[in-house]
Amino acid sequence: MLELKNLKLSYGSTQILNGVDLSVKRGDVVSIIGPSGTGKTTLLKCINYLVKPASGTIGFDKLKMDYQRPDNTAIQAIRLRTAMVFQQFNVFKNMTVIQNVMDPLVVVQRKSKDEARAIALQELDRVGLSDKLDSYPSQLSGGQLQRTGIARALAVKPDVMLFDEPTSSLDPELVGEVLRVIKDVTSSGITSLLVTHEMQFAKNISNRIVFMDRGVVAADGSPTEIFDAPSNPRLAQFLNSELAIQ
Amino acid sequence: MDLSIMIPELLLALPLTLAITFTAMIAGFVLALITTTFRVRRTPVVSQFADLYVSYARSVPVVLQLFVAFYGLPLVVDLFDVEDFVSPNVAAMVGLSLYHGGYLSEVLRPAYLAVERGQHDAADSLGYTFRQKILRVVGPQAVHIALPGYGNAIIYLIHNVALVMYIGAADVMATAHLVMERDYNQYQFETYLVLAAIYSLLCLVAWLVVRFFEMRNSKFALTATPAKVTMMASV
Repeated sequence: MLELKNLKLSYGSTQILNGVDLSVKRGDVVSIIGPSGTGKTTLLKCINYLVKPASGTIGFDKLKMDYQRPDNTAIQAIRLRTAMVFQQFNVFKNMTVIQNVMDPLVVVQRKSKDEARAIALQELDRVGLSDKLDSYPSQLSGGQLQRTGIARALAVKPDVMLFDEPTSSLDPELVGEVLRVIKDVTSSGITSLLVTHEMQFAKNISNRIVFMDRGVVAADGSPTEIFDAPSNPRLAQFLNSELAIQ
Repeated sequence: MDLSIMIPELLLALPLTLAITFTAMIAGFVLALITTTFRVRRTPVVSQFADLYVSYARSVPVVLQLFVAFYGLPLVVDLFDVEDFVSPNVAAMVGLSLYHGGYLSEVLRPAYLAVERGQHDAADSLGYTFRQKILRVVGPQAVHIALPGYGNAIIYLIHNVALVMYIGAADVMATAHLVMERDYNQYQFETYLVLAAIYSLLCLVAWLVVRFFEMRNSKFALTATPAKVTMMASV
């Protein structure tokens, strides 16, 4: 359902994406792993055009776009069918928890307040925030903020969920509560892309692992292929160093 | 000297001072919004003119800006072939609106830029249009950040209204001078002291209003623990 071809992007003279190809089937849960600075987050943000690749194409179901000829209608269509969970949470600071979840439904999807509220209550219950509805982001912990972010993303009923290092800026003891929610989301069958450094978690929830290195997809396969029998020497080296930490 | 005569005489001119202040406040705010929008969106050509306007408003002394308005406006009016309606009061309102708008744009622009990139990203990723993003997410946060600077801008504006006497508008300052001269300049100190009290009161009221909005918005304080500030009038 999602197909990226030959994505290239550089900041100044630093090449971030060096011809990335990635295709995702409906229902896939794909984890993207790899060393820092290899363009994992950038790749994810290319999908909803938060960063602008210099060249490459994207296919989203029947929608096709060449990044050299950005098409606002296509970008908006993709944004309406995807939802992103951010490393820095990016919960709207001027709104309460429930307003955060309701606002996109009311403003973008033009649902009635009552309908939006019903959906928001349901999603917030799912992430375990029913008791924080009227709190402002400044009153919440990192884990609660990220769960608000996940509820906001789920509420728009996206076809694809994009998780951008959702636990990387959390205190270690808050990681668990967020991972539990993500696991619940991905096991519900929604197509998901997850950039993460939580190797064990990626192995458990994904049906596919993509290893990125120096701006390209260096290895791509099932969790068993990637973790238990890494064929690529860079991948083996990376996994060794990651597992040494964990 | 009889204060009970002098003070009412000065207060008689207060409505004009207030009218000029409020006109400049409202027109300046609208101007600042438009200018800031052009400047942050970097609309070609228009944003360069906006930059030029802001640097005029911020770098030319306010007295000079008033003279420019007073002598320049009739020329502009003449271009449009309408009857000259430019009185000192109108020139004062136009001149100060332009000054205040440019000054305020340099309060709003940094406030807009201070809103985290991530807030834009989140709104964009959810499909908000630019307008929706500004109205719902970025604008309210930017306004909150801008409030202290806005309070300063208002206070500077009130001070600068005192300069309109140079182009012949009869505000409290100009009236004070008339009163002093009529009294053979015997009570200059006393008159200026009363004038100072009037301006202090105006600024205090402005400060209280801005402070009210600061407190009202502090519930979504952008920092986790808002700094405890004692309620001291800093005007």
